[in-house]
Parts: sequence; structure tokens; C-alpha cells
Amino acid sequence: MPNDKALEFSKTTVRNLNTLVKRMPRWLENEAPKANIVISTRVRLARNLEGHAFPNAAEKEELYAVIREVYDALASSPQLAGPMFLDMLRLGKLERKFLVERRLISPPYAESDNPAMLVVGEDECLSVMVNEEDHLRLQSIQPGLNVEEAWRLMALLDDDLGEHLDYAFTDQFGYLTACPTNTGTGMRVSLFVHLPALALLEELEKIFKKLAPSEITVRGFYGEGTEVVGNVFQISNQLTLGRTDDSIVKRMEEVGEKLVSLEDEARERVLDEQVVQIYDKVYRAIGIMKYARVLTSLELLNLLSYLRLGFDLGIFKNTDRSFLNELMVTLQPAHIQKKYRDMEDELPRDVHRAHIVREKISALF
Amino acid sequence: MLCQICKKRPAAISYTQIINSKKTQLSVCIKCAEEKGITNPLAGLPEVFSKIVANILGEELAAGAGEITKKTSSRRCPKCNTSLDKFEKTGLLGCDECYQTFEKELSALLRRIHGSSKHIGSRPRPRRVVSTDRDLVKWRAELEQAITKEKFERAAELRDLIRDAEREANGKNSGRSRKA
Repeated sequence: MPNDKALEFSKTTVRNLNTLVKRMPRWLENEAPKANIVISTRVRLARNLEGHAFPNAAEKEELYAVIREVYDALASSPQLAGPMFLDMLRLGKLERKFLVERRLISPPYAESDNPAMLVVGEDECLSVMVNEEDHLRLQSIQPGLNVEEAWRLMALLDDDLGEHLDYAFTDQFGYLTACPTNTGTGMRVSLFVHLPALALLEELEKIFKKLAPSEITVRGFYGEGTEVVGNVFQISNQLTLGRTDDSIVKRMEEVGEKLVSLEDEARERVLDEQVVQIYDKVYRAIGIMKYARVLTSLELLNLLSYLRLGFDLGIFKNTDRSFLNELMVTLQPAHIQKKYRDMEDELPRDVHRAHIVREKISALF
Repeated sequence: MLCQICKKRPAAISYTQIINSKKTQLSVCIKCAEEKGITNPLAGLPEVFSKIVANILGEELAAGAGEITKKTSSRRCPKCNTSLDKFEKTGLLGCDECYQTFEKELSALLRRIHGSSKHIGSRPRPRRVVSTDRDLVKWRAELEQAITKEKFERAAELRDLIRDAEREANGKNSGRSRKA
């Protein structure tokens, strides 16, 4: 970072990151609409500032200029309520991986060595990546299926920023973005859905094909180009131009409702037709979690899928959703490594993960 | 980024090939990956990869044979210097002015991607300008002129501006100026 006053936020980066390590985001909380199937809802807006080259074509000094402008606009934003600022160049590989696991940044952002600033709102429901593929990527996350609320908060932040910044916009193309797949509204709604029963019945492929593939994309756990883990899918709208924001919100809420009803129905059928097999799968998962000495994060996510299903089917009741969500988020590799320093190698991490899971699960079963 | 094969869907899989320290990268969407038989990225990748690259390059070479196409693809944005060629490779535009420079190509591309090339979603809220009564008089006059001259876009802008200024003067929150 160049040494000027406007960029002094850089100094608090490490402290802010440590605060994130110690706390939990609000979108993991207990009660939310359709939380038995939809883990979280995210709305993302892509925005660029008029007059500056997009990050892929900008010189370093220009990217710093963008950071300065956005910092001034965000520092006073009432929507972010005392935001934390992180200078990405002050963060190493591990810290960046932590932020990816926490869903605050995208994998390409973690790889980039451009000057960049991450801004995180009070409860992590709102955040902003500065100098990702576009100058601004605004993100709003809510627990459960709640596109409207995520959008309401997002729109407030977007309006507020728009009053301080000149967005690149034309009447013809709408918000101008680096990649034409985002042009127009710049809006991507993503639902993180847990579909174990449909997966068990092998009906997912059929359903995803029916979901208007030109309009909806299905991705893996961490977004673009990643694998599906633990039956959690990311479902997003693909089209951003020639549609109103409200119609995208409404459409994605409908897609969410549809998936919820299909999965609900599949769960009933599974209980009906394969009740013994389901109990067996759920209790085997509990058995492994109770006794395993080494657990990779991938294996854990798959086991958690069964634990979640068992809870949702009412096979056992002595836990709650925030406990399951917490296990899903806090036992990811970089989360463990950040919390317990001397865990650079995989094996000690996997041993430690197994230890924590053993303690937590043994307390319940 | 955009899939380099269909140039329609976002790329989801990225392949890198290094031969004689020359790096070639290919990013494709899941559908094209499936169609080209590369769903398992680990199986026989180099062969598949070079075949696809050759396919694309082959098509490009064929397209480049016509003089006109060649000229268009090397055209550059005067502001950020991004060429159409580079855009085709990376799928990324370099600045807001690229949208003007490559308007024709982009309109066609956007129609292919989104089925539309006209934005109908929300607009940025006008920057909060401290308006005086004199501004209001000036805007109202300009609005009348715009309507007579059938400059409806400018008229709509002025109408919003006046409405916001009036609301602000009345001490009300102007609300979100998103229009459907």
C-alpha cells in the first residue's frame, strides 16, 4: 500500500481478521425460513466506477484510487454499521483461504495479487470485495430461504453507495461489468441447498435438467468450478440482462420453494420406502463421528449431511441447526489452522478435527 | 469468465497446458466440457485439451481468413487499449468505454447470453445534489423543452431529479429510485 492517510485502514487488517476467527457469522443462526433444506441465500451485485479501467486492465495506482474512493463511501455507510476493512495484500495464503471458507471472498480473489480491500459488515451479512473481477462485488447473505430480505439489505447498501460513487452505467446495457455474463443488473442470487434425499433417490440430474438450464446454474460447495460436497448445491440465476431486479428475486424465490417441496417430498418417500437404510446411514455417520481418530474436512462434510438429514427427519432431536452449521463452517481446514497455530500439516489437522467432532458428538449420543 | 467454446455460459472448469514452456489456458462451461467429453478432468487430458484448442484456433483461423474479421478482432478500445482479440481470449472487457467501442459485437453477444441486449432493471440513484430553488426552475424549463423536442430519456432523468429535489425539500426520504 502506498503510504497515505486514506489507506491507513490497512493497519487494522490483522486485528480484524483475528476478530473474524473468533466469532460466528449471523447467517449460521438457528431459525430461518426453510432452513431444513436451504442453508443460506446470497445476493451479489457487480458494480464498477465510471472512469476507471476495470481491475483486469488497470494499473496498480488506479486500483488504489478505486480503494480510496470506495473506502470513503463505505466508512460512513449506515448499512454496514461499523465495517471492518481488510487490506488483502496484508493477508497470506492461509488467511485468504480462511476468508474463502467463510464465504467472504471468492477463490479467484484469494489468488489475486492486485491491490484489493475486503469490507465486512457487523454480522457478516453484508460485505464488499473491492477490485475483484469488477471494482465492487457487494454481497448480502441471509440464513435459510430469504431472497427478499437479502435483496432488501443489498438494495439499501447499493443505493447508499450509489449516492457517493458514480457507477458505470448506460441506459442500453445497465450496469457495466468486466464480464458480459454479469452485465445489466449485475445481480446473482445463489441458494445453498442441502438435497440428500433427492441425491439418495438419484433424482437430482433429472430435476436440474428441468430447471431451465439456460436460466439457472448449479455449482458445488465453494462456487464457480468447485465440486459438490455433502449434498450441498449452489443454485444461481444465470441471466442478468433484460430482466428487472425484482423479477430475478421472485424467480429465485420460486426456484427455492420448488426445490424445497421436491426435497420434502423425497424425504417422505425415503422414510417410507427405505426407513431401515436411512436409520442405518444416519447412525453409521454418528458412529464414525463418535470414534474416528482422523477426519478429513471432505469426509466430515459428507458425514454432516447425514447428521443434518437425521435431525431434519426427526430421527433424533437433541441438537439444533446452529450446532450443525457451526460444525460445517468452523472445522474447515483454514479455520482449524487459524485457530490452532501449529497445524500446518494435514494429518495433525485431521486428527484435531476428529478430536473436536468426537467430543461434540459424544456429548449428544 | 465466459466459456471459450460456446461463449454463452460462464466458464466453470479451467484447463492449463504447458508445452515447451508455452502456457495455454482454456476455460469452459460444464455443458461444453460434457459435450467435448472432458467431464473427468484427469482422464487423458492432454490429448483432449490440444484437440479442443486446435478446434477453437482452427475456427478462429478460418474466421480470420476474411480480411474484415481480422481487422475487427484487432480493434482496440481507445481508453484502456483492450483489443477485441484479447476480449475473445479472456472474456473480460477492460473498461466502461469498451461497451461503446465494441457496441455492435457486444449487443450480439449479450443477446446470445441473456436473450436480450436491453437493460430494464434498476438504475443508480442520482447523486445527491443540494438543489436550490433556482435549480428547480431551471430543471422544470429544461424538462418542458425536452418533452417538446421528444428527448424522452433526458425528460425522465429531469423528472426524477425534480421529484427527488421536491421530496427532499419537503423533508421526506426520496426512497429507492428503482424502476421496473
